[in-house]
Amino acid sequence: MAITVRFSSAFQDLTHGKKVFSVDGDRLSKILVDLERQIPGLKTKLLDKEGKIHLAYHVILIRGDMQELCHDLDCKIEDGDELVIAPIISGG
Amino acid sequence: MNGYQGKILTVDLSNRKACEEPLDEAFAKKYVGGVGFGVRWLYDTLQNGDDPLSPKAPLIFATGPLASINFLGSTGISVTAKSPLLGLIGDSDMRGRMGSSLKSCGYDALVIVGKADSPVYLRIAEGSCQILDGSLLWGKDIRETQELIHADPQNKNMLVTSIGVAGERLVKYATISCELQFFAGRTGTGAVMGSKNLKAIVLGGKQKTPVSDMDKVNELVKAISAQIQTDGTCDTLSKYGTWNTTGPANLNGILPTKNFQATTFSEIDKINGDAMLSTIYAKKRTCPGCPIGSRRVVQGETPYSLSPEFAGPQYETVASMGSLLLNGNPYAIAKANEFCNLYGIDTISAGVTIAFAMECFDRGVLTEKDLGFKLNWGDPGGILKMIEMISLREGIGDVLAEGVKTASQKIGKGSEQWAMHVKGMEIPMHDPRGKKGMGLAYATSFKGADHESSMHDEAFQRENVFPELGLTVAMDRKQFEGKAALVKTLQEYWGVMADVVTICKFPMCPPRPLKPGPLVELLNAVTGWDFTVQDFVTTGERIFNLARLFNAREGMTRKDDLLPLRFEEVLKEGGSAGESYPRKELEKLLDEYYRLRGWSAEGIPTQETLKRLGLN
Repeated sequence: MAITVRFSSAFQDLTHGKKVFSVDGDRLSKILVDLERQIPGLKTKLLDKEGKIHLAYHVILIRGDMQELCHDLDCKIEDGDELVIAPIISGG
Repeated sequence: MNGYQGKILTVDLSNRKACEEPLDEAFAKKYVGGVGFGVRWLYDTLQNGDDPLSPKAPLIFATGPLASINFLGSTGISVTAKSPLLGLIGDSDMRGRMGSSLKSCGYDALVIVGKADSPVYLRIAEGSCQILDGSLLWGKDIRETQELIHADPQNKNMLVTSIGVAGERLVKYATISCELQFFAGRTGTGAVMGSKNLKAIVLGGKQKTPVSDMDKVNELVKAISAQIQTDGTCDTLSKYGTWNTTGPANLNGILPTKNFQATTFSEIDKINGDAMLSTIYAKKRTCPGCPIGSRRVVQGETPYSLSPEFAGPQYETVASMGSLLLNGNPYAIAKANEFCNLYGIDTISAGVTIAFAMECFDRGVLTEKDLGFKLNWGDPGGILKMIEMISLREGIGDVLAEGVKTASQKIGKGSEQWAMHVKGMEIPMHDPRGKKGMGLAYATSFKGADHESSMHDEAFQRENVFPELGLTVAMDRKQFEGKAALVKTLQEYWGVMADVVTICKFPMCPPRPLKPGPLVELLNAVTGWDFTVQDFVTTGERIFNLARLFNAREGMTRKDDLLPLRFEEVLKEGGSAGESYPRKELEKLLDEYYRLRGWSAEGIPTQETLKRLGLN
C-alpha cells in the first residue's frame, strides 16, 4: 500500500522541513508506527497522554474528492489515500 | 466594589465639559462591563434613526472587571458606538493597555458625546480631564500623532490612543489604534471619533483597582499559564501566530480567494505560515500578561520596506490582502497592512472592498477611467494605491470608503451581486460554505459578518468539547444539523462575554486551556461575586438580546439575517468541494435558532424572553 502523508507547518521542526512522506499501513495506528520510525518524536507531539489524537491537531483523510477527519487511531486507510496532519483552526 | 473603580467619566465635547458619574453596583452585576455597558447605554441614549456621526451619538470605551488584573490581554477595552457602516450596534474589542490605563485613571468607562468646534485631544489623569487643542495633530497618521503627543513633556510615558486620517475623513470602516499595535478594527468606531473632532485620548494614572481575592487570582493565573505552556494546545499559535491558520484554511477549502469566487489559492505556498516565517517575520510580540505571544513583528527592505514598529499582519489580513485579491506576495501583504494601520482603516473591510473593486474592473463595471489606473487581480501597486485613495477619500476611493454595500448600490450595474457583506459589514476570511455554523453566526450577529461572534466549526468536530456549556456532540464542520444551538451558546459565551470581561478570545477557543469554569472562577475572584457558568452565559444572552432590540428598533428584522447570494453557489474544488449555503437551509436554521432564542418568527425577542432576561 502507498499512503502519502503531508504535514502542515506545525511539524516542520520534527520533519526538518520535509513536508511529504510515503508510508504503509491500513490503519492510522500502523501508519503512525511507520511515521514514528521516519520522524522520531512525532507520536509524542501528535498524541495526547491517553494515546488519542491530540486535541490541537486534525488528521484529515483525503480520498479522491472526499475529505474527512480521522477521529481515532482505528481509522481505516486505503491504498492511494492521502493524510494531512494540521493544527485545528480556532479563529484568526 | 471589587473589580471596578465605581466611576464613569463622561466628556461632552460640544460644551467642553467633563463630569464623573457613579457606577451603580447592581447595574455592574447585570451588564458586567465592556460591550455590556456599551450596548445598554447606546440603547438608552439613542433613538431610531439617529445619525451615528451626529454629536448626539456616544462613543463608549468600557473596561471589564478583569482589566484590574494583567492576564491574557485583559488590560484591553471594548469600543462601542452606533456603527456608521451598519447603522446598527457597532463594537470592536481592542487589546493593549487602554482598559487598564483607564482604570488607573480611576474610571471604568469613558463616554464621549458632542462635537468639538475644532480638533482636540483628551488628556486624562487621576482626577483630571483636559480637553486640549489638537489642531497640530489633525491630518497626521497614527505614528506622527503618537510622536507629536509624546513630544510634549506633560504627555511623557502616557498611553496614546488615536485615529488616523481615515477617521478624520469619516471612512465608514475607520479604526481606532492604541500604541501603534492594537486596533478597534471593525464597525467604523474611528469614524465616530473623527466626527467628534477628537483625534486622540492620552491616559496616565496609577490608581489601583480593588480585587476581592488576589491569592485566588494568582492561583488561577498560575494554573492556566502553566497549562498554556505545557499542554501543547497553544504551540502553533505561539510559533506562527495566527499565520497557523492560513495553510489549514486553504486545505479545508474555506480560504476566501478572488472575492469569494473560490476557497483555495494556487499561491498558498507563498503566504502560509512557513512562507511568512522565512520572509517577513522578525520576532514575536506578546500582549500584556500573555504567555502565548501570538503577535508578529515583521521586517523587510525589498520590494517593500516594512516597519517593525507596527503590528504585523495576522491571518485575517494575510487572507484579505492576499488570497482574496490573488496577491501571493508576503511583503505586499505586510505593506498593505502597514498602510491600513497608518491611515487607520480596517484590513478586513478594506480587503473585501478592494476585492469588490477588482471584480468590478474585471467585469468592466469599473473602468480605467473610473479608477484612474488598471486595478488587476494580484497587483500589489493597485492594492496599495486603493488603500491610500480610500483612506483619503480620493477619486473612486470616496465611494469605496462608504463600505462595500453602499459602494455597490452607488456603482450599480449588478455589482450588488459581488458585494460581500452582511448588514453592511464586510465578510471576514472564513467562507461559510465549508463551516455552516459560521454562516449562521454571520447572519445573526448584531454587528453583521463577524468571525469573532461565534467560535469556529472546526473545533467542534469532536465529542465533549465544552460539557459545561452542554456542547458534547461532535458535529462535522460542513453539516447544518445542530448548528443553531451551537451558535446560540457560543455567541453568548464567547462572542459577547469575552468582550464584556475584555479578555483575549484566543485562549478561550477549544482545545485551548481557558475553559468556562476557570474563567468564571477568575471573574468571581476579582469581583467577589458568586457567578455560575450559567449566570455568565445568561449575562451574554441578555446583552445579545438587548443588542437585537436596538437593531430591531432601527428596523432590522429576519429579512436582514441573510448571507450573500454568492454563497449559494456550489464550490467546485478544494476541501469543501460540493458545498454551498442554500437560502432554504439558512431559513431552516433561522427557524430553529429563533425558537431556541425565544424570538418571534420575524426574529424579535418576545416579551416572555425579555422578562426572563430582566429586560422588560
